[in-house]
Amino acid sequence: MKINMELFSKKKTNIFLLDHMIEILLLVLILIVSCISPAFLTVGNILNILRNVAMKGVIAYGMCLVIIAGEIDLSVGSTVALSGVLIAWTSKNLNASFGIPIEWGALIGVVFAIAVAILVGFFHAWARHHFNMPSFIVTLATLNILYGLAAIVCEGFPIVNAFPKWYVFLGTGKIFGIPFPALVFILVFFAFWFLTEKTDLGRKIYAVGGNSEAARLNGINVWRTRVFVFCTIQVMCVLGGVMNSAQVRSATFGFGRGWETQIISSVVIGGTSMLGGIGTIWGTIIGVLFTGIISNAMTLLNVNEFMQYVVNGSLMFCAVMFNTYMTKKRN
Amino acid sequence: MSVLRTENITKVYPGTAALDNVSVSFDSGKVHALIGKNGSGKSTLVKVFSGAIQPTSGKFFLNDAEMHFEAPTDAFSKGIATVYQELSLVPYLSVAENIFLGRLPKKRKVIDWKKTYAMAKEMLDGMNVDIDPHEKVFKLSMWQCQVVEITKAMSFNPKVLMLDEPTSALANNETQRLFEVIRQLKKKDVIIIYISHRLQELWEIADTVTVFRDGKYVGNGEIAQLSHKDIIRMMFGDVKINTRPKDLMAQNEVIMEVKGLTRKGKFEDVSFKLRKGEILGIAGMLGAGRTELLRSIFGADSFDSGSIIIDGQKSYKKSDTVHMKSLGMGLTPEERKTQGIILIHSIRDNLCYSCLDRISNRHVIDNKKRIQLANKQVDELEIKISGINANANSLSGGNQQKVVIGNWLNNEPKIMMYDEPTRGIDVQAKQQIFNIMWDQSRSGISSIFVSSELEELLEVCHRILIMYQGRVIGEVNPDNMTIDELYAICMGGIINED
Repeated sequence: MKINMELFSKKKTNIFLLDHMIEILLLVLILIVSCISPAFLTVGNILNILRNVAMKGVIAYGMCLVIIAGEIDLSVGSTVALSGVLIAWTSKNLNASFGIPIEWGALIGVVFAIAVAILVGFFHAWARHHFNMPSFIVTLATLNILYGLAAIVCEGFPIVNAFPKWYVFLGTGKIFGIPFPALVFILVFFAFWFLTEKTDLGRKIYAVGGNSEAARLNGINVWRTRVFVFCTIQVMCVLGGVMNSAQVRSATFGFGRGWETQIISSVVIGGTSMLGGIGTIWGTIIGVLFTGIISNAMTLLNVNEFMQYVVNGSLMFCAVMFNTYMTKKRN
Repeated sequence: MSVLRTENITKVYPGTAALDNVSVSFDSGKVHALIGKNGSGKSTLVKVFSGAIQPTSGKFFLNDAEMHFEAPTDAFSKGIATVYQELSLVPYLSVAENIFLGRLPKKRKVIDWKKTYAMAKEMLDGMNVDIDPHEKVFKLSMWQCQVVEITKAMSFNPKVLMLDEPTSALANNETQRLFEVIRQLKKKDVIIIYISHRLQELWEIADTVTVFRDGKYVGNGEIAQLSHKDIIRMMFGDVKINTRPKDLMAQNEVIMEVKGLTRKGKFEDVSFKLRKGEILGIAGMLGAGRTELLRSIFGADSFDSGSIIIDGQKSYKKSDTVHMKSLGMGLTPEERKTQGIILIHSIRDNLCYSCLDRISNRHVIDNKKRIQLANKQVDELEIKISGINANANSLSGGNQQKVVIGNWLNNEPKIMMYDEPTRGIDVQAKQQIFNIMWDQSRSGISSIFVSSELEELLEVCHRILIMYQGRVIGEVNPDNMTIDELYAICMGGIINED
């Protein structure tokens, strides 16, 4: 009897370990890196990591929702570019044509960029829901469209001298010594965590991704849920785009190029299932930190930049394999 | 002349004998109908012949050669071909390609298309049908697909051709055209085994009929010498129908009125009234339009004309489950695993999907309320679970069904619609589901209950509507109706006065 109990508790610990594999790996990673490089575990470097992951990180939260809802958004990088370019263009032109100071022009630009992003998100949801087009294809199309539009707006060159001080602060400023983007990254985490864990909308997103037909037959408004997730991720792209262009103090169409793969891999490493219905924001922040720390470590250790692609890709592969294996084992 | 014969075939599944010592024989040039209600063993026998399963004991012979099948391909190679209800055609390939799929004629390793089409044309002409072998299958009508499937089976020159419910998805005139093809086949010295739920058809197409009940062979005979009544008596024997509790009364107040509801090709001109606390049964064979009717009433599908009035409020024609839920309606769908429940989510979540608005305050979920509601259904419906956070796919079919029902009860509906809620679940769970409906009725909640098991309808309902080929052809009172009579009406589409 006693042996049985022990076996039982051992099995339970195993399940606990497997369920929290990514957190454990993150801790192990931190331990290893801090042993190898003493520069790693310093306040300065940690804040640096947080600032670096923030821009893709906020989009990763949105991506997490989209993937839980059973969809995907590949266009995120292009929206990052387009939003930065639009804000800079608006600010610059309002100033040149109407003499509106860039302090106000940039604000108008931000509102404009958010409106465009919501429109794009709505378009994705519309094509997905009413034409039953795979979101993979819809957003692959808009990835190219928005990239092209961004290049047209900025005429192929970076727009400079368009951002006021308050705007630049969004990318480079510090509050109580904490970089502003890092602060945003943490605050937005709580908002998304609350959304997914505590609200009925959160449950609806899981339900639609888990089985959209069952959700519909439960009287859940699948259309509205899809509109919400597609628009939310686009707005997060504007947030990422603002912080990114503010940090560089300019905007061009090349920003955000290729971000979608890194963002999706962070989300997947965090345990979100590409089949929809399963995933957490907690897992996503861990996944984002995990990939962020790896690139930081590789930079500290002077690893070839291109090697980082190899490592990131391999990580994503292993994460998906592990998740698939776990799902199989649970059933 | 060939003969298919069985000797004491028995197939035992844990707990039940699906086939019990069956000895029958079928000869060629005739259509042999196999009938019996669900679970009578007729499908099991077909599966044995087609090599899908192996009998526990007993033998069967084709032309005095004993048959031993390990897999369906063995049956095929020995000349036993089966056409299943679910067609196995590839929609975007041509008729000819479908017929010869996997064995297209070749000339020097390259497909000989000319020969393919010529061979297909010859086969189709032999069936006396005018189907273009170049046509893509998705453009064909249902009966034409059936014919292509039969042609494909016949291209193997089988000695036995088994047809599993070939008419279930066909309209009346299509059925006639299919029958012409089958009559043509009789000239070819093939043993044709025909399974159907439509009793009426048997006199048109079958030569002999063989009846099964509870895994046993009951009898057979020439169809010409049998009446409806004879066959139904053989199918059912003496059935004991439980009666519903005496205190169950439908109130006078009408809660829902359906007027002239039509969805083209699915059901037509359906009208009925549902009273408060009433349990209304809908009987009918598969494909009679029962599921489609429920789905349109619930707003899962749209409808073309007619109206639904609930508590004085009219529903939309456009499909809108959100609106119907707000009017107090709930539906447990036919396919619970794919439509009723989210298997990868927890029991707690699955019990609270329909009532999300009810458990949240300004969109924030009240977790205490959620757990309380989930636990309430687990207790009241006696759902057997390891824990409320376990995934729904860890549950048995009966318990999953209870989760689907509990989910809706948590939303406190006024009208509950149950589509085949008892399919594939054990007797005890069935009885519990009936008790739920009765309890609901006592508290003034109306139910619509669709089931293929007619004895259940007789036991549970206040009133039964009968659907036949998309129309409501009558309404019966279960108190003065026997199961034989009800079955005859459902299968034949006629209400006998005697």
